[in-house]
Amino acid sequence: MVFEIARKEFLDLLRDGRLRWCGAIIAALLLAATLVGWRSWREVSAERAAAQTEANRHFDEQEEKNPHAAAHYGLYVFKQKPSLSFLDPGVDPYTGVSIHLEAHRRNEAKDRPVRDSTAIQRFGELTAAVVLQVLLPLLVVFLVFPVIAAEREQGTLRLLMSLGVSPRSIVLGKLIGVTAALGLIVVPAAALGMLVLLAGGFHSERAWPHAPILGVAYSLYLGMFVVVSMAVSARCKSSRHALIILMALWIMNTTIAPRFATDLSRRLLPTPSSLEFQSSIGTELKAGIDGHHVGDERLERLKSELLAKHRVDTVEELPINFEGVALQASEDFGNEVHDRHRGRLEKTLGRQDTLRKALGILFPTLAIRELSMALAGTDNDHARDFADAAESHRRKLVRELNRDLEVNGAGLGFMYQAGPDLWRSMPRFRHRPQELPEILTRQTLGWVSLVTWFAAGIVLLNGATHSMRVD
Amino acid sequence: MLEAIELTKTYGDHTVLDRLSLHVGPGEIYCLLGANGAGKTTTINLFLDFIPRSSGTARIHGMDVAEHSLETKRHLAYIPEQVNLYGNLSGLENLSYLSRLGGRTDLGTDDLLEFLSRVGLTVDTAGRPVRTYSKGMRQKVGIAAAIAKRAGVLLLDEPTSGLDPKSSNEFSELLLMLRAEGVAILMATHDLFRAKETGTRVGIMKHGRLVASLDTSEVGHTDLERIYLEHMHD
Repeated sequence: MVFEIARKEFLDLLRDGRLRWCGAIIAALLLAATLVGWRSWREVSAERAAAQTEANRHFDEQEEKNPHAAAHYGLYVFKQKPSLSFLDPGVDPYTGVSIHLEAHRRNEAKDRPVRDSTAIQRFGELTAAVVLQVLLPLLVVFLVFPVIAAEREQGTLRLLMSLGVSPRSIVLGKLIGVTAALGLIVVPAAALGMLVLLAGGFHSERAWPHAPILGVAYSLYLGMFVVVSMAVSARCKSSRHALIILMALWIMNTTIAPRFATDLSRRLLPTPSSLEFQSSIGTELKAGIDGHHVGDERLERLKSELLAKHRVDTVEELPINFEGVALQASEDFGNEVHDRHRGRLEKTLGRQDTLRKALGILFPTLAIRELSMALAGTDNDHARDFADAAESHRRKLVRELNRDLEVNGAGLGFMYQAGPDLWRSMPRFRHRPQELPEILTRQTLGWVSLVTWFAAGIVLLNGATHSMRVD
Repeated sequence: MLEAIELTKTYGDHTVLDRLSLHVGPGEIYCLLGANGAGKTTTINLFLDFIPRSSGTARIHGMDVAEHSLETKRHLAYIPEQVNLYGNLSGLENLSYLSRLGGRTDLGTDDLLEFLSRVGLTVDTAGRPVRTYSKGMRQKVGIAAAIAKRAGVLLLDEPTSGLDPKSSNEFSELLLMLRAEGVAILMATHDLFRAKETGTRVGIMKHGRLVASLDTSEVGHTDLERIYLEHMHD
């Protein structure tokens, strides 16, 4: 009986213009977004790899110079494009993908693709994630709102129930039929996604544990929309009423909630503007050691301490290069200032993230958005991880260069010069993205939201099934 | 066999069916006559357990419909005043679907076409989407589904509404055939002529009460109309 109802529902939907036209458009958009995303991922990955190689070459091929000058020359590091970013580019276009590492300064990431976009592109960038998070639920609403409500309105529900078909069989059959029809749209795109991953590329092995879990997350999300829509359709006396309720739910989730979450987190947990932040750091840095200015009071104190320690009268007599020590002291002071200010900022940003994730309990679209970006490696956490890794590398690089100046440049002051052998011996930048358990732990609230909504949808549907009557 | 004992339905203070008692045995056609709002459709709905009764009992084959809701429905077929079907499916597909849900999984396409043919639908018509059907044609598919179910009890709620005279006549013949096969039939209707022609008994309802119950063999057409109008004028 359930199979018969499922078969009829599937056949009915196949012949229905809503599935034929809307479904075809959304399937085409999903396939196109997946293909375009993959092509873009391939090109951008290659570009970034080439850019990183070129940046390394530029650093390695510097002429002979003072190591600290090399530290000022610096190095560009590029964020690898994660394999699953072809599905969900996340915040990467907004947070920047490269950082210039140089002495004394912690630079922000730059190269933000969104800056090259027109206003309209920023608003409507089509990605597989947008189709899955926004358009597919809309299709679910359009397909499911009348499945029971319209049968009640048209009187066919009376006919079915007069045949001795239980409400449970009707609902289960329709659920299977609708899911099968939706499968016609999602399965080809999922197959294409799998092919893309099988085709390989940079770090594609990292996609494998993440991709199936991403599939589970989206299944829960879309499944939630199906069961909730079905429950509303079963509860409502008219299909119009069901459509209004479901459209309100969709608009709240996909349009209002993201804006609301962002605005609320900014209002409750404000962060300083970039200018204010840089200005407050700059003020404090000025009060600290400056390794470049001869005569600086704190520099003189450091010099005195060092001369006393080595029991000599002049820096020329020191067994080490004083400039190297002074510059590293300046670096350490700057790092401490940066860490303190950035720590406060990161703490606020982290709280904003937590608030947004918590709001995902109310709005499942927020939850899937965070989960999807996290599993694709393109969320705020990954962006901060990259920035932290780059900063850690910057400090290591600058320390190594200052150390070389300190150890090998005794008595030469700023006249000491090193060559390509030193540049080439510097550590290479390696950024390993977060491991899966860490991602899953950070996204616990997202999972709780999706599972809760899905379970609530089933409870609602079960209740609607039990109370389903015709009159 | 179907039976109502002191069957009552109230909505707040308003009684729409007042202690109805009737019995329809195998091979009987009981026609319920009455003005709109007399309680005919409520009676049918109570036998279908679509609405909860306030008191009394409705039984099909001896089983209480409220206690054995799904079980009793397996023994009955129902034709509403307006048969609505699935517009994207053909008449044949609709009949196949309804028959299978009604438990007739043994019927092949030829059998289904035969049922449709018996109610006057051709093979060509059977293959067309139901959204292109007239009300009468949809009614015929509903009748075919009811016949195909081979149920022991048939509940009809003004089933000839919308049918042309020829189809109504064919429908009456089908009812007589089913009566001959031992089916117990309860039909709510406004059509006094059909009630007299096909019914074995006629019940006249007014304000939720069964005010008269007549054996059709004992009254003529004119008598039935007179008795009906007398009750309506009271």
